[in-house]
Amino acid sequence: MSILYVLVLLVPAAFASGWFAARRAAVHRSGMRVSELSSDYFRGLNYLLNEEQDKAIEVFLKLAEYNRDTVETHLALGNLFRRRGEVDRAIRLHQHLVSRPGLTEAMKTVALLELGEDYMRAGLLDRAEALFSDLVAMNAHAPSALRHLVAIYQHERDWHKAIDHARRLEAMTGDDESPMIAQFYCELAEQARQHGARSEARDYLHQAFECQADCVRAFMLTGRLHAEAGEHAEAVAAYEAAVGADIAFVPEILPPLLNSYARIGQMERAEHFLRDILARYHGISPVLALTRLYHQRDGERAGIDFLTSQLRQRPSVRGLMALIDATMDKIEGEARENFLILRDLTRKLLEGQAMYRCSRCGFGAKAHHWQCPSCKGWSTIRPIHGVANE
Amino acid sequence: MRLIALLILVLFVVVGVVVGALNADPVSYDLAFAKLTMPKGAGLLVALVIGWLLGGLTAWLGMSLRHRRVLRRARQSSGKTPARA
Repeated sequence: MSILYVLVLLVPAAFASGWFAARRAAVHRSGMRVSELSSDYFRGLNYLLNEEQDKAIEVFLKLAEYNRDTVETHLALGNLFRRRGEVDRAIRLHQHLVSRPGLTEAMKTVALLELGEDYMRAGLLDRAEALFSDLVAMNAHAPSALRHLVAIYQHERDWHKAIDHARRLEAMTGDDESPMIAQFYCELAEQARQHGARSEARDYLHQAFECQADCVRAFMLTGRLHAEAGEHAEAVAAYEAAVGADIAFVPEILPPLLNSYARIGQMERAEHFLRDILARYHGISPVLALTRLYHQRDGERAGIDFLTSQLRQRPSVRGLMALIDATMDKIEGEARENFLILRDLTRKLLEGQAMYRCSRCGFGAKAHHWQCPSCKGWSTIRPIHGVANE
Repeated sequence: MRLIALLILVLFVVVGVVVGALNADPVSYDLAFAKLTMPKGAGLLVALVIGWLLGGLTAWLGMSLRHRRVLRRARQSSGKTPARA
């Protein structure tokens, strides 16, 4: 019986021992994980916070060698470096990731895509082009790679390749890229026009219209081609169609349109057209054009009367300057001196003003661009409507 | 520390072997559904191992249940945050 007593006493002792052992092992295991993370990650983070990014990268790179879970952390880190403008560091990091053995194919292609973006940012467009072309051939992240390739060909002004890749992108994603492709054709038409190849330019414009039937730029270029060929009636029709396609471009369209009206002697039609625009467009450009028209046709008084009546409805610094210029000759003495000061002031006020703004990124410009220099968006730069602008 | 643990382990093994050798005579257990006969030393060892395993199992269950509770609370609180915002 004595052995049973011993057993009865020893079993709880063994139970307690097992309980403590399991508990201790669990605590130890989780502690090991924390210390593993903390010792390297916090050292790396510490380097980052102390602006010693080279040392931080070294720590993170060593960490990546024995822990595959850190690959995404490195991708994020590389992205961060690129955004900060430290492209050489981003390139080093992504190159290291790409050359690592044992990396999964999916992760390697992500690293390649990131590396391509680094090259683009660094201006190494040939290397970026090669990488993105490989990715497209591998069908890995092809839409992103194609988007980058289109951006590269736009930068290199290789419009044929840009069109080809934009069409492939369109086929792959199903997104409508035709307005952008129409702009590429317009660029080609513009190049052909500058080289005197009118029929080639017309072919390109035809293709632009096939991509986007209401492409303002294509209408304007068609008008310009006709005007240069002396076909002013056709030019007027094209410019009028441009206004119909997008009334926001009136300040760009009116000067050549009025010139063509004058060449064919249809100033009555011009007046009707401008009156029609005036009701739909709230900028100052049609007012100034009509003022000039009345001034030439009905005399100085009619022009000034029309301008003053319009300025009450749509106050504008440009309109005020036109009014000052028109009335300057009639004023003498001290008032004339004051008017001269006022004219200089308004001129200086207008000189510093951005007349156009990108509707996508807010980039302000004094001249019109079809492609925004900042965000590279097409046909996004529009006249600013305000007292000191359009 | 490791050396001390090793020494204690060796001591226990020696004591176990000695106790096992001294208690080699068989002992019978009636477990209601089965009857077992084994050496006294082996019976002692089996009882200790079962007790140790049960203790470990209890600790493991307790810890994992606590972890689940903590995780559930964390998820609930993270789910509530956007609703408040």
